Amino acid sequence: MSEVRVGVFVCHCGTNIGGFLDVPELVKYALSLPNVAFTQENKYTCSETGLSEIKKAILEIQLNRIVVASCTPRTHEPLFRSACKEAGLNPFLFQFVNIRDQCSWVHMHDKEAATKKAKDLIRMGVANAVLLEPLEELKIDVNPKAVVIGGGISGMTSAISLANRGFEVRLIEKSEKLGGTLNNLYKLYPTQIDASNLVTAKIGEIEKNSRIKVLTSSQVLDVDGFVGNYTVKIKQNNKVQNYDAGVIIVATGADVYKPSDLYSYDGERVITQLELEKALKRGEVKAQRIIMIQCAGARTKERPYCSKVCCPTALKNALLIKEKNDDSQLYILYRDMVTPGTEFEDLYGKAREAGINFIKYSPEKEPIVENESLKVYDELLGEELTLPYDLVVLSTPMVARSDSKELAQKLKVPVDEHGFYLEAHVKLRPVDFATDGIFVCGCAHWPSNVDESIFQAYGASSRASIPMSVGYVTTEPLIPVVDEEKCTGCGLCEMNCPFKAIKIEKKEKGRKANVIAASCKGCGTCGAGCPQKAITMKHFTDDQIIAQVRALAEVTS
Amino acid sequence: MEEKPVLIIGGGISGIQAALDLGDMGIRVHLVEEKPCIGGRMAQLDKTFPTNDCSICILAPKLSDCFRHPNITLHTYSEIKKVNGQKGDFTVKIRKYAKYVKEDECINCGECNAKCPVKVPDEFDVGLRNREAIYLYYLQGVPPVMTIDREHCLFFTRGVCRICEKFCPKEAIDFDQKDEDVIINVNSIIVATGFDPFDPTAITQYGYKRYRNVVTSIEYERLICASGPTGGHLERQSDGKPAKKIAFIQCVGSRDVKNNRYCSSVCCMHATKEAMLAFEHDSELKSYIFYMDLRAAGKGFQKYLERGEQEYNISYIRSRIANITEDQNENLVIQYDDPETSKNKKVTVDLAVLATSLIPRSGVEELARILNVELDDYKFFKTDPLNPLDSSRPGIYVCGCCRGPTDIPESVAQASGAAERAAETLFEVVIT
Amino acid sequence: MTAYNFEPEILGFLCNWCSYAGADLAGVSRIQYPTNIRIIRVMCSARVDPTFILEAFIQGIDGVMVLGCHLGTCHYLTGNYNTERRMKTAKKVIKKVGLDAERLFVDWVSAAEGERFATFVKKFTDKIRNLGPLGKETAFDNETLKSRLVAAKEALAQDKIRWLVGRERELVEEKNVFGEKVTQEEFDKLMHQTIEKEFAKRRILLSIDKNALSVKEIAQKLGIPTNVVLKNVMALESDGLISVIGIDGNTPKYQITRV
Repeated sequence: MSEVRVGVFVCHCGTNIGGFLDVPELVKYALSLPNVAFTQENKYTCSETGLSEIKKAILEIQLNRIVVASCTPRTHEPLFRSACKEAGLNPFLFQFVNIRDQCSWVHMHDKEAATKKAKDLIRMGVANAVLLEPLEELKIDVNPKAVVIGGGISGMTSAISLANRGFEVRLIEKSEKLGGTLNNLYKLYPTQIDASNLVTAKIGEIEKNSRIKVLTSSQVLDVDGFVGNYTVKIKQNNKVQNYDAGVIIVATGADVYKPSDLYSYDGERVITQLELEKALKRGEVKAQRIIMIQCAGARTKERPYCSKVCCPTALKNALLIKEKNDDSQLYILYRDMVTPGTEFEDLYGKAREAGINFIKYSPEKEPIVENESLKVYDELLGEELTLPYDLVVLSTPMVARSDSKELAQKLKVPVDEHGFYLEAHVKLRPVDFATDGIFVCGCAHWPSNVDESIFQAYGASSRASIPMSVGYVTTEPLIPVVDEEKCTGCGLCEMNCPFKAIKIEKKEKGRKANVIAASCKGCGTCGAGCPQKAITMKHFTDDQIIAQVRALAEVTS
Repeated sequence: MEEKPVLIIGGGISGIQAALDLGDMGIRVHLVEEKPCIGGRMAQLDKTFPTNDCSICILAPKLSDCFRHPNITLHTYSEIKKVNGQKGDFTVKIRKYAKYVKEDECINCGECNAKCPVKVPDEFDVGLRNREAIYLYYLQGVPPVMTIDREHCLFFTRGVCRICEKFCPKEAIDFDQKDEDVIINVNSIIVATGFDPFDPTAITQYGYKRYRNVVTSIEYERLICASGPTGGHLERQSDGKPAKKIAFIQCVGSRDVKNNRYCSSVCCMHATKEAMLAFEHDSELKSYIFYMDLRAAGKGFQKYLERGEQEYNISYIRSRIANITEDQNENLVIQYDDPETSKNKKVTVDLAVLATSLIPRSGVEELARILNVELDDYKFFKTDPLNPLDSSRPGIYVCGCCRGPTDIPESVAQASGAAERAAETLFEVVIT
Repeated sequence: MTAYNFEPEILGFLCNWCSYAGADLAGVSRIQYPTNIRIIRVMCSARVDPTFILEAFIQGIDGVMVLGCHLGTCHYLTGNYNTERRMKTAKKVIKKVGLDAERLFVDWVSAAEGERFATFVKKFTDKIRNLGPLGKETAFDNETLKSRLVAAKEALAQDKIRWLVGRERELVEEKNVFGEKVTQEEFDKLMHQTIEKEFAKRRILLSIDKNALSVKEIAQKLGIPTNVVLKNVMALESDGLISVIGIDGNTPKYQITRV
């Protein structure tokens, strides 16, 4: 091994560091440390001048490790790493020592103690730097093809968008035709557009676009690979084929709960809101006295969530019925009217003006559906009402598809306790999965109305297009390296990895842990837990950390 | 032929997400933000529902990414002045207002504002504390450079002082800077200008601005925020004592025929969050949330409200509030109709938080005129019913709260969606 | 250092995304705190191997802080749940050594909590100052304490404890291969037993590092009951780690099996 030559640059940062620590003393101290070949103090190491000094020193003094003692790596590490790279030094041979945010700024009244602390930190930093190794970021090609699972409004929107961007798309649909739940819907709210017109328009766009290949009557049998390099096994009728893709979008939608156990549901006089839609579409609703029960089977112990779309849907359908037949008597029994935003609140106002009756009921006193009439306790009036009816419509919640868990396992993505797909981050990554290269949108993610399904679909396409646009993914350089001699294939690493980036596979020497660099994020969870200590974490090795601990404990002057 | 860039107007979470997506795709972006720093409303929040994780903590890496992204050019303290052209070829005039600070030199050391003698109400902290005329918009703001507010700076108003210049160790202050107009040519435009909180002063029965212990939700967020003006201690504005009983009044200005007829979507959730945060600081705290309809339809939202009720000592009372009055200790007396008995009841609390409506930003009409796009009846940007991210003008897309009040997960999904629409536009142009 | 001007040496492991950022924010906000702490940055608190903590104590550091993201907000999703479990075990082992387990402080600090970070540092530094230099709370001399710490570190580096720590979630929350679920109580008991055994084994190995000893000699040297030593010696022998070197009268002497 060639000689390790460390250069240490101590920054004054104006008076931010220089005013509180003895910088010349630190420079002198650094020079006394083993392996340090060069030291320098700078007014502002991050300035153009400072960076040139670093580059000059690398070349002229043949430094092969750079330590900068200044502010914080969280803002300035990339800058100094770039400087090293420009001078021909691998950027991972750079070490940062924080003597401002975590030293001079927080110990402003004890120069001696703060300077001693800075010495310790520099000594630790140099000890770490000596053990740093050059690391490479590998580029792995990404297949610019997408597989979209689900041919409803989300799937179709997503596929069309990606195809318009120039990517090839395989659109996979379980049933015989595209359209999904929209095929069963009548008019959409609040636009009053016919759902079938929307479906026709989307199918038209798909047919025009040669980059989209539609596979109906098809199911996903298996998924293998990682971001940029997925292989999806699809069965169409009885034919099985493999398709390669760079990214996968899950747009499988949701089912509507069928309340066989609630409110004397019989599918004839007591039906679901979806069944009402179908009947409205066929022009078959003749009932005069219609009562809608909201939260039927929702916001209960079994399904403790609000399904979002039911209140606006009920309002829309009630208005449609009332508009067609002014003599109809409509009641909507609700717990909370969920009409957020601008358009839906308007809908609620319109419904009240149109003479639709609203009765608030409480979950402790649910309405009782009897043969000819319905009994409900009106919370606002404070009395029980008996309402005769011709038709009772139950607004039941959306539920996850019965096979969502199965597909999730094939994709190796998680579902939540209700069976809806679980995204990487509820707020900032709502359409990503933690597993790179797989995305989700629409009701498969959570009950959504058509608008939301559309923009989530665009959102998922945007996210999916990123690796495809770039053409490659860069692997994480801070990856674990497995010593196959020590590895016993116990699987703890695979079990605890949040990103499915390390897997037990059959190798020459038996079942061993295999790192998928493209998916790894460098957290170190696997390394710190391996029972055989068979994993070395690049750039944050055990040896490096121990070296820092030991350097700290050395007696200082 | 090189691809034209995309213009994004608005540097809040929506604008930032759209910029990052486009930038990551390899498409160049000009991100224009009217404030001196990007971050928007999300930077003002303490924690965000339904996970109650720290807002700035999840936002800061995105701010940093935006700042350092090779494909994103930030124009902060800037406004759009003119837009001509059509989809695929818009010519835009951006006015960059002078900060009077050299962005490349300023190291955010704080020597300047420590010396500045001017004190004006701080906008980011919604007037709860004062700032100097030379200031950092907020602690974690990006770009992390100072700005001089020429409306209050003594040099610009009276021709004197310039003490900041004397103390700046990097000679970064430049009183000779001028406002600059930059003309750019872009492929498409994304509007992500967000919202303003409604000012409830006109709803006199709630006593805002008359009673010191009535605050708006945005003021509450700053009070409870660890990096806010009181370090996260929920102190009453009247006597500095900690609040032990809080009333959250929902729908202030929303679902209101006189003010805003629509529902602001997020207030049921953020009131619950605010009550939870207060409880985390003080387990003896009691909260009342006075609501009309509980709207918790998002993922995990319903459970969140239930947790609030069961574990955080929150009572949800379905009643619109007639008025708020004050007793001799500046406590607030809330009069409401008890939903169980329909009788009139009173509760006395230390602090009342008004969940104010999310309204379109001031200046939105001017922007709509410049962009030549339509606004709806509420002055939110109108979108195509079949393509809910498309504005009324081809090539201009809309996302986030400027489209209509919505929460962070939806804003982020919409922002990615708008980025995709803009990217589609690029491809169309290239192949024709 | 005399007793009354003892200044503790504190080491902190901070994660890049939350606690390290929180510490930076304390700096940006100029919140002052004692100078005793030195920080090692890791990307995720889950990088902190329990052996690092023991190494710190072996080197004479008086207190260690491990600060990660708040549970549920880890940048690497579930990393800090591992930290929680691992540090819990580290504390048990530290206690077994005879030290006050409070010398290891584990908590969560977000990137916005500069004040919280500074408060933790102030409080912890005070606490360690009161506890005194490492080992003051024990009756051991420096050499004995060091050898106990080394044994503890080695025990934590072995597969038995590490395997158990890594499997805790699965065993307690899901089922094992036989479809059985383990209660937290049962798990804790098993962990306790494993720690006892592994610690004893490593101490025995250390004791015969230089010279071969008999079971009785080992028991005397370590202050462990003879029957416990015998049980562990048998286990070590069947593991192939030690072997009989010779017989002194009726008493076999054991040494470490060097490969």
